[in-house]
Amino acid sequence: MSTSLKRKQISSGLSVTQKVFVRSRRGKASKIVREHYLRDDIPCGSQACEACDEYYFPDPSGFVRHPVLSKTPLKIEKKSIGKHYVIPDTNVVLNAIDMLENDKVFYDVIIPQTVLEEVRNKSYPIYMRLRGLCKSEDKRFVVFHNEFKASTYLERKIGETMNDYNDRLIRKCAIFYGEHLQDAGISIVLVTGDRANREKAQKNSILTLSLPEYISLLPNSIELQDMLPTSGEFSSNYKEIKYPSYFSAARLIGGIKAGSLHQGTINISSYNFLEGTVAVPNLPKPLLILGRENLNRAFNGDKVVVEILSKNNWKKPSTKIIDEEAVNQNGIGDDDDEVMVTDKERIVLAQEAVKAQKAFLQDGDDDQKSIVPTGRVVGIIKRSWRLYVGQLSPNSIDQNNNSGYSAKNCFVILMDRTLPKIRIRTRRSRALAGKRIVVAVDSWSESSKFPQGHYVRTLGDIEDKDAEEEAILLEHDIEYRPFSKNVLDCLPKEGHNWKVPENLNNGDQLLAKREDLRDRLICSIDPPGCVDIDDALHAKKLPNGNYEVGVHIADVTHFVKPGTAIDQEAASRGTTVYLVDKRIDMLPSLLGTDLCSLMANVDRYAFSVIWEMNDKAEIQNVKFTKSIIRSRHAFSYEEAQMRMDDQEKQDPLTQDLRILLRLSKILKKKRLDAGALNLASPEVRVHMDSETSDPSEVEVKQLLEANSLVEEFMLAANISVARKIYETFPQVAMLRRHATPPATNFEALNDMLRVRKGMSLSVESSKALADSLDRCVDPKDPYFNTLVRILATRCMTAAEYFTAGSFSYPEFHHYGLAVDIYTHFTSPIRRYCDDIVHRQLSAAINYETLSKLHMDKDKMDLIVKNINRRHRNAQFAGRASINYYVGQVMKSAEAVEHGYVIKVFSNGIVVLIPKYGLESLIKLDVLGQVDTAIFDAEKYKLTFKNGDDQETVITLFDNVEVYVKTELDKFTGKRKVLLSLK
Amino acid sequence: MSRMEVYSPEGLRMDGRRWNELRQFSCQTNTHPNASDGSSYVRQGNTVVLCLVKGPMDTNRATSTTRASADGPVLNINVSYPPFAGIERKKRSKNERRLSELSIVLERCFLKTIVLKNYARTVIEVNLTILSFDGGLLAACCNSITLALIDAGISLYDYVSAVSVGIYSETALLDLNSLEESDLSFVTVGVVGDSDKLNLIMCEDRLPLDKLERLINLGIQGCHQLRKLMNDTVKEVGVELLSKRQ
Repeated sequence: MSTSLKRKQISSGLSVTQKVFVRSRRGKASKIVREHYLRDDIPCGSQACEACDEYYFPDPSGFVRHPVLSKTPLKIEKKSIGKHYVIPDTNVVLNAIDMLENDKVFYDVIIPQTVLEEVRNKSYPIYMRLRGLCKSEDKRFVVFHNEFKASTYLERKIGETMNDYNDRLIRKCAIFYGEHLQDAGISIVLVTGDRANREKAQKNSILTLSLPEYISLLPNSIELQDMLPTSGEFSSNYKEIKYPSYFSAARLIGGIKAGSLHQGTINISSYNFLEGTVAVPNLPKPLLILGRENLNRAFNGDKVVVEILSKNNWKKPSTKIIDEEAVNQNGIGDDDDEVMVTDKERIVLAQEAVKAQKAFLQDGDDDQKSIVPTGRVVGIIKRSWRLYVGQLSPNSIDQNNNSGYSAKNCFVILMDRTLPKIRIRTRRSRALAGKRIVVAVDSWSESSKFPQGHYVRTLGDIEDKDAEEEAILLEHDIEYRPFSKNVLDCLPKEGHNWKVPENLNNGDQLLAKREDLRDRLICSIDPPGCVDIDDALHAKKLPNGNYEVGVHIADVTHFVKPGTAIDQEAASRGTTVYLVDKRIDMLPSLLGTDLCSLMANVDRYAFSVIWEMNDKAEIQNVKFTKSIIRSRHAFSYEEAQMRMDDQEKQDPLTQDLRILLRLSKILKKKRLDAGALNLASPEVRVHMDSETSDPSEVEVKQLLEANSLVEEFMLAANISVARKIYETFPQVAMLRRHATPPATNFEALNDMLRVRKGMSLSVESSKALADSLDRCVDPKDPYFNTLVRILATRCMTAAEYFTAGSFSYPEFHHYGLAVDIYTHFTSPIRRYCDDIVHRQLSAAINYETLSKLHMDKDKMDLIVKNINRRHRNAQFAGRASINYYVGQVMKSAEAVEHGYVIKVFSNGIVVLIPKYGLESLIKLDVLGQVDTAIFDAEKYKLTFKNGDDQETVITLFDNVEVYVKTELDKFTGKRKVLLSLK
Repeated sequence: MSRMEVYSPEGLRMDGRRWNELRQFSCQTNTHPNASDGSSYVRQGNTVVLCLVKGPMDTNRATSTTRASADGPVLNINVSYPPFAGIERKKRSKNERRLSELSIVLERCFLKTIVLKNYARTVIEVNLTILSFDGGLLAACCNSITLALIDAGISLYDYVSAVSVGIYSETALLDLNSLEESDLSFVTVGVVGDSDKLNLIMCEDRLPLDKLERLINLGIQGCHQLRKLMNDTVKEVGVELLSKRQ
C-alpha cells in the first residue's frame, strides 16, 4: 500500500520522496517510511549516447564506470525492428537464465533495477548469475537503476498490486530508453512472458515480444528454439499418471510444528531408483520411502516434507536391484489404498515408528524385525534442481522416425542413475542422438510421469574424452570456465617476472616484518611432475641438541587479498579439482604454478611454522612467521626416498632429510598410538600413454616412507596452527572436524563380520576401532584386512570445515586423526580454507589485520558451507574421472580378476575388484538360473543353479574369480563394467 | 536483510544516494522561544530531533538536584525517545542504557566545546526529543544541541557538526539510514568547526583498523558540509532577529 507523496527538490538533479508501506511484524501492522532519492545523473549505459557521458562518476577508489552497450547492436530485418537493445521482464529472466547466459544470443541487454530486485526476491541464485552477467561485460548487460532516476520513477497507485506496479515501472523504463536512443537509431524490444503486460505495452507503443517470438526472429533461431523453457504446454497429451498433490504451505508448516509431518533431505538409493530414505530428526533411523507415488516427484537431494504411512503399509526395505530401464513402463500402480489418516493418528504413528525402529535395533529374530516404517512425500520445500547431463533415450528417437523439423518430445536419460528421465521438446532429436547434452528441469506436474525440461547445450559425442570430462565437471557443479578478466586483473602486473625485492629495507612495512630464511636448507617433496608446490621443509640441528624443524607454505594470501575479485572467485571455487589428466585450478596458474609455487632455487614468499623439537619429536616451542625462502631442491617422492636410502650420500641436505624422516617416524607412531585410524580406500592411478595420451594401465597407488614424512609434518603444522588461531579467534577460527561416527553406521558391517567371519569391530573410540581393525585378519587372505578397512571407511562420517563458534570445544575432535583440534593450513594454492587460515594466522601474529569478511561469523558460515560442498564435489568428480578412465583402459582388455563379494541381494551380488578399485553388480540372470535362487538374508547367502545346472553358493566376503569386460550402456552412454563369474 | 544490495556495483545505495552524499538536511533554530532559552529542530533524512536548552542558570533552579562545580557549568542532557518515534510503537524507559550512554557521550563532547570559564557554578539543561528515527541518532542529537546552544547564546569555541559513516566491504558510506546501520559497522564523528579536529568519535561495532582512517576522512568532509548548512541557518535567523529589534 502506498500513498502519493510529493517530491521535494534538494538540489538540481536530486530530489527526495518517501516510500511508505505497511508490513506485518509479529502479527502487528507497522508503517515503514523510507526515503527514496531521485536523481537525473544515472547513465543509460550505451556507447551510442553522448548525453550521459557526464553521469559517470568515480567511486571512492577512483574507478570510473564506462558505457557497455554496443553502438551497433544486433539488427533484425524482420518486422523492421532494426538495431535494438533488449529489456527482459522478470519472468523471462527467471525462466530463461540459461538462455541469457548462452553465448549465441542476448547481447546488449538492459536489466531494469525493478527486474533485478524482483529476481532477487524470487531466486537468489539466479540473481547472482544475473549479476555475474552484468559484471563480466562480455555479453554487454547493464543494470539501469530506473527507480532512482527521476524521469523513470513512478508512484505506486492506491490499490495497485505490486506486480502491476513493477510492470508499469518496466514499461516506463522501456519508453524512456526508446525516446532516449531515438537519435542513435536504436530501438528497444521488451521481452516478456506476461500477456497482459504485452497488451498494455503495445498501447504505449512499446515494441514487445514474447520470448518464443523474439527467438523466432533471430537468424540462428532453429538452434535456439530447443532451449526455450517449457511452460506446461504438452502435459495435456499425457495423462499416464496422476501423482498426489502436495499439501498447501500452511498445512506443511503446521504439520511440521505439530509433529505430524517431518522434514528432511531425500536420498535415493543408487541401487534402486524407486526407493529413497529421508533422515528425520525425531526418528533414530532414516524413514523409508518406497515406490513412485510415495516418492511423489522428489528428486535426489530435495528438501522434502514426509508423512509416515499407516502401519499396514510398513514394508521391508527391498533386497532387489532396480534399474529404471528394467521397470515395466506400465507397472506403476503400486496398489495403495488411500486411507484417511487424521493428524492425531499421524502423531501416534510417529511414536510407533520410533518404537518399531528401536525394537529393530534391539532384538533380532522376530519375524516383524525387518518391517520398517515407511513414508510418503507430501511437499517439497526446496528443489535441488540444477543443470543435468544426459543423453537422448534411443527409444524416443526411434519413435519419431520421420523427417522434418517439427518439434518432438524426447526423453533424456541422465548420467545420475538416481534421477528420473527428463522429457524435453526438440526439433533436432536426430542431430542430438549419441551426444552428451545438458538439460535443465522446468517443472514436474501432477499429471506427468516424468519431469519436463529443456535442452541447454551439447557437450560432444558420447565417450569423447573432452565431452565426458566436461560432463563430469558439470555433474559435480564445478566451475571450469577460464578465469574472467576481473580476476586476472588482480594478478601482479609484472606477471612471470615478479620477483622478491632484492632490497628488503625498501620502506615496505610488511616486507620488513618477514623473516629471511634463505640460509636454511629447504627442500620440497611432492609427487613427480608436480608444478603447484605449496609446501617445503627443513631441519637443522641446534647447538643444544634439539632440532629446528620448519614447514614452509606458499604465501598465497600475499597475492590474494580479501574481498578482491580473485578472492571471491577462489572462495566460490573452493578447491582445485584433480581429474585424471586435467586440473581445474582454484587460482590462476600464474600464481599456482609460478609466483606462489615454492620451486627450487628461486626466492619465494612463504608462511613458516618453525618448531624446536627434541630427540623424541616433542615440540619444545613453536613460532609462526611470514618469511622469504629459497628451496634447494624439489624432490619427487621416489627421488627423496632413494636419496635417503643411499648411504653413500652424506651431503648436508640428505642428512637433514634423514633427521626429518626419523622424527616423522616417531610422530607417526605417536599418532597411531593415540588412536589415529589407518583407513583404506581402493585408490588407483591411471597411467597415460605418453604418445597418444590414451590411458594405458591402472595401478594401485604406492605409499613410500617419503610420503608419510611429508604428511606427518603437515599434520603437525595444521594442528599447531589450529591451536593458535583458535586461541586468537575463538568465534571465527576456521577449523576442521571429523565427527565420531554413530555406532549405528557400523551395525550392518558388524553384523556381516559376525555372521561370516566371527569377528567384530568395536566403535567406542577411534583407538578401539583402530585396534579392532588390526584384529580383523584372515590368515589365508592378506587382502581381507584391507577390504574390511575399505568397508569401515564407508561407515565413517565425512570430515567437515566449520567455524570455531559453531561447536563446543569437545566437538572439535578429529576422529580419524585422533586429535582434539585440526585445520587445513598447508595447501593454500589448492584449497580456499587454507587461505582463510593463513589470513587468520597472520592476524594472530600481528602481521596484518584480519579482514572483516573473516570476522563476521555469518559470512564465515556461508564460506564454510560452500567449501564443504565444493570439497565433496571435487572428491566425487575425481573418482568419477578415474572410473571413466578405468573403463577406457579396459575397453580393449578382457581379463579374469580376483574380486570380493561385498553385498548380496536377492537378485544379484556386488563385487569389488581391488586391482581396478572398482565395484560392480552382477545380476542373478547373468549368474545362473533365476528361478532356482534361494536367498538367505540373515546368512548373506545366495544359492542358485548356474548355467550348467550345478548348485552354486555365494556368500558375503567370498573371494571370487570374475571375467571383466566393458560394454557401452545403450541408455546412459556410460561404459559399464560387465562382470561374470568364472 | 543481508540479501539487500547495500551498495550496488553501479555505485548506488539502497535509497538512491551515492557513497558520499548526505541525506536531506534541514534545521531551524529558535523554534520554542517561550519554552526555553534556546531551541532547535534538526532533520537528517527521516531522523528528526528537537532540542530545548535552559540555562545557564542557578543550581537551585535546576530540575534535578545538582552540585555546582567551580570549574565550569554542569551540563545535564536528557534524551527522550517517545513511543511513536521508531517503526514499532514501543515504550522506552527513561533510564534505558543506550539513551543514558548517548547523553554521557554528548555531555563529554560539549564540555569540550562550551567555554567553561564563563559558566562556573551554573547549570545548563538540555532536553532532546527524538520525533522520528531513521539512523544517525547521535549525529542528529549532536547537531541539534550545537544549534540550540547557539540560540541560547552560550559561548562555544566553534560548531560541532556530526555525521555517521559506515563501511561496506571496501567502500565508506556517508550518513547511514537505519536500514544501512543494521547491516554495516559504522562510526559517528563530530568535527569542530571547519578544522580537522574531532570532538566526538563513537563506534559500537567491530571495525577493521585499517579502514578507520578512510571512514574518518569521509566523515570530516560530511561534517564540513553540515557545518555550512547549519551556519547558513544561524545567519538567517540572526538577520531576522536583528531586523525585528530595529
